[in-house]
Amino acid sequence: MRAVISILSVMVLTVMMVVTAPALAHFGTITPSDDIVTQDDSKTLRLQVKFIHPMEMHYMEMVKPKQFGVVHDGKKTDLLASLKAAKGKSPDQTESFTFWTTDYKIRRPGDYTFYVEPTPYWEPAEDLFIVHYTKVCVNALGLEKGWDQPVGLETEIVPMTRPYGLWTGNLFTGQVLLKGKPVPFAEVEIEYLNESPGNISVVIPPADPYVTQVVKADANGVFSYAMPRAGWWGFAALNEADWKLKRDGKEKGVEIGAVYWVHTQDMK
Amino acid sequence: MKTLSHLFILVVVTLLLSGTALAHKVNVFAYVEAGKVYTESYFPDGSPVEGGKVLVYDSQNNLLLEGVTDKKGLFNFAVPKVDDLTIVIEATMGHKNSFKLKKAELEAGR
Repeated sequence: MRAVISILSVMVLTVMMVVTAPALAHFGTITPSDDIVTQDDSKTLRLQVKFIHPMEMHYMEMVKPKQFGVVHDGKKTDLLASLKAAKGKSPDQTESFTFWTTDYKIRRPGDYTFYVEPTPYWEPAEDLFIVHYTKVCVNALGLEKGWDQPVGLETEIVPMTRPYGLWTGNLFTGQVLLKGKPVPFAEVEIEYLNESPGNISVVIPPADPYVTQVVKADANGVFSYAMPRAGWWGFAALNEADWKLKRDGKEKGVEIGAVYWVHTQDMK
Repeated sequence: MKTLSHLFILVVVTLLLSGTALAHKVNVFAYVEAGKVYTESYFPDGSPVEGGKVLVYDSQNNLLLEGVTDKKGLFNFAVPKVDDLTIVIEATMGHKNSFKLKKAELEAGR
């Protein structure tokens, strides 16, 4: 019965996707195996770095990122060389796509902010390149320090809500920065990661606007969103870069996204 | 009437104090380097637990040694025994937490 339901939901989702094709939003993702490391937890995190449509679970091909690292106690550590290629796909994709994975050992208490700068992705449908600067924060051993500090990426979301230990329904507030300065009235897209571990059933959006939630920041680039389900939530603030990239001899625009991921859990 | 308002102030002050205390969960972290155990005791915001009592137990729950954290929340000691150790921090007002330092880590840090 369960299998029938899941096949059915995949079929419904597939139909939905064909219908909702233009609404797809791209998201860079970093998902760690744990977002709060306590004494009794494994100190080795498994991190997955992907370029996907989180709600539809579609993978896109991701070449090796330009930068991948972690900030802990104000110190940056380059982890690019540790990335290993892996393959993945959604239940309805026939082809598998490359994503990246690594194991990282937590050695000290404090917040660990992992960040990635992907290699520009060419999107023919939008006639532009996409670069999503993506971050996620993991807390270790009771020291809640570091999460509110920017990494110093070209564009990034700096959390104003502590980004771990969040209940389902909590409000997440962040500030959008571009070259270190707030982006007034930035548009922020929000999606639920349907492949979140522990997600009890695939969410099937009843109409296009449910796939990607959209909020606008205030004059200080500050936005908020209340997350209605347990699992991983992605926030993407999109801006156009003031630089171009060449494609077949022609200059093309670059969409730079500041992406941040947080995890919520149901109150039980 | 005056007594009442004094009582009210007392209640408010008590609430304020206890509120702060509740949010101040203590933590202790330990690691081994060159035959020495280094402990760090801290509150969630990173401020050190100063003058906290550190108690070190072996796997049979025997107290091996004790000490007091310094201004930076630190207390160090030579490896007392290669065993699974439990390091307990006792701060003021009954705040307490512990850290398990595994035998393997003590062996690796010799």
